[in-house]
Amino acid sequence: MSDRRSPSPLAERLLSIVLGDGEWTDSILGDLQEEFEIRADRSRHRARLWHAAQIVRLTVRGLAARVRRPRPVVPVPPQPPGDSLMRTLDVEFRYAVRSILRRPAMSAIVILTLGLGLGANAAVFSIVDALILRPFTIHDVDRVTLLSYTKPDDLDKRDSVTAADFLDWKKEKIDVFERFAAFDWWEANIVGRDEPEAVLGFRVSADFFPALGVQLTAGRSFRPEEEIFGQDRRVVIGHGLWQRRFASDPEIVGRAIEINGDKYEVIGIGPAGFDFPTGAQMWAPFAPDATVAANRRGDWLTAIGRLAPGRTLDDAKAQMAVIGERMSREHPDTNRDRKARVYTLSEGMTDAGVGPVLAMWQASALFVLLIACANVANLLLARGAERQREMAVRLAIGASRIRIVREMLLESIVLGLVAVPMAIFLAWGFLKLLVQFMPAKIARFVAGWYEIDVDGRMIFFTIAIGLGAAVIFGLVPALQGSRPRLAESLKDGGRTAAGGVSRLRLRRSLVVGEMALALPLLVASALSVVTVHRFLNGPQGYDADRLLTMRAILSGGRYETPESRRRFAIDAIDKLAALPGAQSAAAINIIPAQGGNWGTSLEIEGVPSDDPNNPPSSDYRTATEGIFATLGVPILKGRAFSDADREGSLPVAIVTESFARRFWPNADPIGKRLKAGNSDWLTVVGVCGDVIHDWFGRRNYPTMYRALRQAPPASVALVVRTPRDPKLLLGDARAALRAVDPAQPLFDLRTMREGLGERTIGLQYIGAIMLVFGGLALVLALIGVYGVMAHMVTQRTHEIGVRMALGATERDVIRLTIGQTGLLTAIGVALGVLLSIALNGAMQAGLLAASSDARIVAGLAVLLSGAALAAGYIPARRAAAIEPTVALRGE
Amino acid sequence: MNLGEFEHIVLLAILRLGDEAYAIPIREEIEARTGRSVARGALYTALERLEAKRCLRSRMGAPLPERGGRARRYFTVTAAGLASIRSSRRSLMRLWQGLEERLES
Repeated sequence: MSDRRSPSPLAERLLSIVLGDGEWTDSILGDLQEEFEIRADRSRHRARLWHAAQIVRLTVRGLAARVRRPRPVVPVPPQPPGDSLMRTLDVEFRYAVRSILRRPAMSAIVILTLGLGLGANAAVFSIVDALILRPFTIHDVDRVTLLSYTKPDDLDKRDSVTAADFLDWKKEKIDVFERFAAFDWWEANIVGRDEPEAVLGFRVSADFFPALGVQLTAGRSFRPEEEIFGQDRRVVIGHGLWQRRFASDPEIVGRAIEINGDKYEVIGIGPAGFDFPTGAQMWAPFAPDATVAANRRGDWLTAIGRLAPGRTLDDAKAQMAVIGERMSREHPDTNRDRKARVYTLSEGMTDAGVGPVLAMWQASALFVLLIACANVANLLLARGAERQREMAVRLAIGASRIRIVREMLLESIVLGLVAVPMAIFLAWGFLKLLVQFMPAKIARFVAGWYEIDVDGRMIFFTIAIGLGAAVIFGLVPALQGSRPRLAESLKDGGRTAAGGVSRLRLRRSLVVGEMALALPLLVASALSVVTVHRFLNGPQGYDADRLLTMRAILSGGRYETPESRRRFAIDAIDKLAALPGAQSAAAINIIPAQGGNWGTSLEIEGVPSDDPNNPPSSDYRTATEGIFATLGVPILKGRAFSDADREGSLPVAIVTESFARRFWPNADPIGKRLKAGNSDWLTVVGVCGDVIHDWFGRRNYPTMYRALRQAPPASVALVVRTPRDPKLLLGDARAALRAVDPAQPLFDLRTMREGLGERTIGLQYIGAIMLVFGGLALVLALIGVYGVMAHMVTQRTHEIGVRMALGATERDVIRLTIGQTGLLTAIGVALGVLLSIALNGAMQAGLLAASSDARIVAGLAVLLSGAALAAGYIPARRAAAIEPTVALRGE
Repeated sequence: MNLGEFEHIVLLAILRLGDEAYAIPIREEIEARTGRSVARGALYTALERLEAKRCLRSRMGAPLPERGGRARRYFTVTAAGLASIRSSRRSLMRLWQGLEERLES
């Protein structure tokens, strides 16, 4: 007699899990199989289906019954007598877990709230970690330093070393560095094989790759003799460029490619993922000619050094200080005020603005977490009220208070830890979105951007703050809960007046605190949104609509002479202006509000400079005559350029209003003369309006314009104005320029609005992230208000019933409840306003000089109060609906 | 001890079945006598609850091959169960008094 096999053992296993193993489950499974065997005689297949369906139904029913079943008070585990602390904790841990499972809905809300709060922190931590703490994937990055040679008031750490100084440093044999290198921007056009293409390249000295500890994928790095001018036609190409443009062809090493009209031999291929600095795709030797090598004024090099074994950053600082001082003595006319400084590479390459922004994000995330903690503490306090009798009984029969506090704290810690995976998941999703939406073009300038991800450090951080948060939100309810008034609580039906009042007071303070924290966050997020809006849509000094822009770099063999560059610019604008749909066209070296800038030192006739070492300076533009009309920049005085301002005629300049105010505050600038760099004397013929070139450092900055025909630049931007959608001109514009020079690559072909949008993308990110934080804070704070008021109404049902029985109207009851909410809101919002004012400085730094605005603070205070009152109104309605008879029958 | 209607029905069905009362015939008996269908889950829940109320006692039979080697669980009504049925019946009878003419048509 052999046992027959079950028709669906897996389903049976499922049911056993839900109902538990045992005789009872066994008998049910037996019944099902017995019926199955009878049905199987007719159709085995249908019987099988029937059997599975029955088990599923019983499973669902069993689950539902489990959820619905009134939970018995969890039996208190016996204190193991004289046992080790670990055993005790183990028992209490299991008690905590059961206690959490007993209230699935509430535990879920707690975990969700915490998950949001922790997730925000985890995400920001990841960003900070990737951008500030470890922005470079460079071997031993801590040993690599950045050297700057700055004037005392200059904040920019990069691009600060002159070629002559760098070459002197090299001769010094500075022994604190094992390797020592410099690099400089190199705008390179690759021609041949494919469309001409502009590639971001760098001129680097021979020790560049060894200093960074980089091993090339193929080929070799540069040799010292290739640093000699004339022997520098070698190039190392980046891994991405090699894959993309050269189809990963390993034979490319040793071949020549055409860059800027010259032949360069490819000698190496960079390793995958290496794009230092700032997204470089190509590196050629830095080979200064005699003029550059002697230049001690133009400080455009960035110098890096790898510390020698056993030497520290402090050693490097000390040695560089000594060298810097000596060079100040040797070259007093140029180096008198320069000071050598040494930074770690991570610190040196990070933009000054990034720190305050990230600090603001981290602070905001922390605020959100604190608000979440307050909410959780609130829920736990409410539950503490329900469990008061349980605790009282346990205290009465001799449980120690420490044990109860420990148990409740353990419960909080378990909740905190359970929220961690959820937080990491939320953070992961958020970071994916963040990384995905940043244009690659911008992202490459943010060192470490592509390293933003979930990693062990982030998980560790999240667990740590999860534990911290658990202690914060768990301690107060635990202390409160372990201190019930015994006699009060044990009275049957006791509403526990005394304990309830102090608990309620605590909960109200938490709500006040939440609102006080939420308001500054709301202010910060509103400010960032306003700032972004203003940057994008505010007055720019020119008309940004219906403009098409593009850039070309005129370098290398074909554009060596000023004449050839002038020819290109004039031909290009003639062709562009002739396009159907084009209204006017102009050429300029730098387009407003887009990347790049060009400045010049000045000599103003009749105004001697105070300090010959630091001559006055301004931004420098050189443009064709149509620029003002095309951009929509007004001429305020005098005239615009004309085509009579050409080579050989009187050299002229037009200055901006701010320029005129700065250099000739009390005189008419027309007719005055100045020199830009080492130009001839230029006569000012007009004053034009200011433009906002850069919202952070170049807002209405003094600027001078020269006539392009008199000073053709090496890099030209072309601007076309059209009465229609500028995108319609894209194809025609490209074709027109190909007709001018088929080998000349164009880039940044886009509308002015697109350029502006890209330029402010960082700000838009700041705005969007702050908006998320503000929204989270608002929602969490409102949940807090609602929770406390709802709980208060439940607790005071009896009292409200009495009031109504004695003649209070619905309106009186609503007024009573709303009055409570109003009081809490008023205190919370008042504190929030104070906090907003106190944090104003930090916000200004974080939001890049957007100043706080009393109207914004006031408006948000009103909004928050209104929302809080609305949240409090729902429980108030419920209070008003209390039937006195029902409320009093509950006795 | 108050009995719900379904519990009352289950107890009566078990009494009718005598020694052979396990879940399958109990369910068939109820369906046959009352003409309404009974969900297995509901029956097991009721049996469990009645046993918890001490109205039922159960014993396990011998393992049977047609049940995959599992035993049947036989139920018998306890003295307390009988008392509950009687008390329910008495309550109902008292409520019936005087209504026979209108209800037993």
